[in-house]
Amino acid sequence: MLDFQDMFSELFELEDQLDKYDWIIEYGAVAKPVFSVNKLDKNLVKGCTSNLWVEKIQDNIYCYGESLIVQGIASMICDWYNQASQKQQMNFSLNTLADIGLAPLLSMGRQNGVANLIAKIKTL
Amino acid sequence: MRDYFPFFKRRQDITYLDSAATSQTLYTVAEDQRDFMIEHKSNAHRSGNSMGTWVDQQYQLSKELIGKWLNINHPEKRIVYNSGTTQGLNDAASLIMSAMSSGVVFVGIDSHHSLILPWTQSGNSKWKVVFINLDKDGRLDLNDLQAKIKQEPMAVSKVIAVNAVSNVLGLVNDLDAIKKIALDIAAVSIIDASQIISKRQVDISGFDFVAFSWHKVYGPMGLGCLLIDPVWLNFDPVRPGGGTVTSVSIDTVTWTDSATKFESGTQNLAGICAIPRLVQWLIEHQNDIETHDIGLAKIINDQISLAQFTPTSKTDSGLICLDPAIGTVEDYTMMLDAKNIMIRSGKLCAEPLITQISDHGLLRLSWGCYTTKQEIEVALDSLGEIHARLSRHVQRAI
Repeated sequence: MLDFQDMFSELFELEDQLDKYDWIIEYGAVAKPVFSVNKLDKNLVKGCTSNLWVEKIQDNIYCYGESLIVQGIASMICDWYNQASQKQQMNFSLNTLADIGLAPLLSMGRQNGVANLIAKIKTL
Repeated sequence: MRDYFPFFKRRQDITYLDSAATSQTLYTVAEDQRDFMIEHKSNAHRSGNSMGTWVDQQYQLSKELIGKWLNINHPEKRIVYNSGTTQGLNDAASLIMSAMSSGVVFVGIDSHHSLILPWTQSGNSKWKVVFINLDKDGRLDLNDLQAKIKQEPMAVSKVIAVNAVSNVLGLVNDLDAIKKIALDIAAVSIIDASQIISKRQVDISGFDFVAFSWHKVYGPMGLGCLLIDPVWLNFDPVRPGGGTVTSVSIDTVTWTDSATKFESGTQNLAGICAIPRLVQWLIEHQNDIETHDIGLAKIINDQISLAQFTPTSKTDSGLICLDPAIGTVEDYTMMLDAKNIMIRSGKLCAEPLITQISDHGLLRLSWGCYTTKQEIEVALDSLGEIHARLSRHVQRAI
């Protein structure tokens, strides 16, 4: 069972919110694939304040976000999803993020975007 | 003036710079709404009981005081209560469309969506929308307006719909000149006053419709005013219902000849009962409010270049928007939020303008009469810190 909090335990050990954002940005920068996610309309996640694209490349899902923080959060979600069991993938929802304590990082507007990201990932 | 606002006693941790979206609440408004709910709740208009009569008196007093504040004669015929600016602007458009079947509406490109959409939604194809561009300083270009008016046939009905202050640029448009142009061509005029009414004394005489929301004026949520020229009382209400008539039979209806003609149904009476003391406070502090707004705009204009951001323009009033060079507005908004600094970012419900000046939306800092110089400086310093933080990330990624 792949645990989200275990996978990103470094983040959850941080107390300062700005330090958390720094960690997330670093994660997003490192997680960027060597190949580019195609910035096509069909890969665009609707409902995000800044543009975010996701694409399935060689059996794994990758993302590219214009916002550094959104790129980090989306990369965490994609990486977890890529390694999760089929059952976990099926049950993955915005509630999962709330259960693991990621929701406080997301405003309502961003939660809508993340919900759309999760929905799009599931279609890939 | 900060002491008049209980929010700042309760939330001393917050730097609130989103007053263009909604202002914090004057203490009298909080008290009066609470008192209405637990002591006076009754319905207005012909209740026949003493509690309802008390509400009627507050309702009438509120309009009299708004009339005094905004220099409006016969307020009972000119002040329409509604849910806010959006409803006011939609009702104005509907009323005009019921009176004139087609025409041209000249809309400021710096307008909020609520001023544009009533004219562009499907079914309104008989109304041609022409946008008024901005001059080099960012205010509505009235030469552009006049040139575009000349391109339209004389006989076509015309409407000029503009805001007094853009919710993106914070620049005061020349309402006197716009009024003159509207009068010269017999155009119907609509003013979105939502960003100016809490900041400046404004001459709203001579316009057909002026809309604003009380929640931006330190007042209650869900309450607005549409100020109308009494000539529009000659037209049927766009939302008929209780309170709009003097008599109804199976065959006939006689509409009331007061502004309640456009106030169908029960209004936000808790909010309305809070208006008298709010307006008395506004009248008493009007000069201080205006001086404070001008002062903060000057500080922002003087200091903004120090924060490594390019403003979209200088500001006259209430707000300033910034376009960050590194990262997106979302990054800044989240990081400012982590420092308990509340701002707004994105396309600010003004996409026709935003898409002309920014690819990714803007950061907006907006203030009220309670905002301190120190709060502005803290926000600018924090923006600089976040800029440096994001720059380091970007440098490392390269």
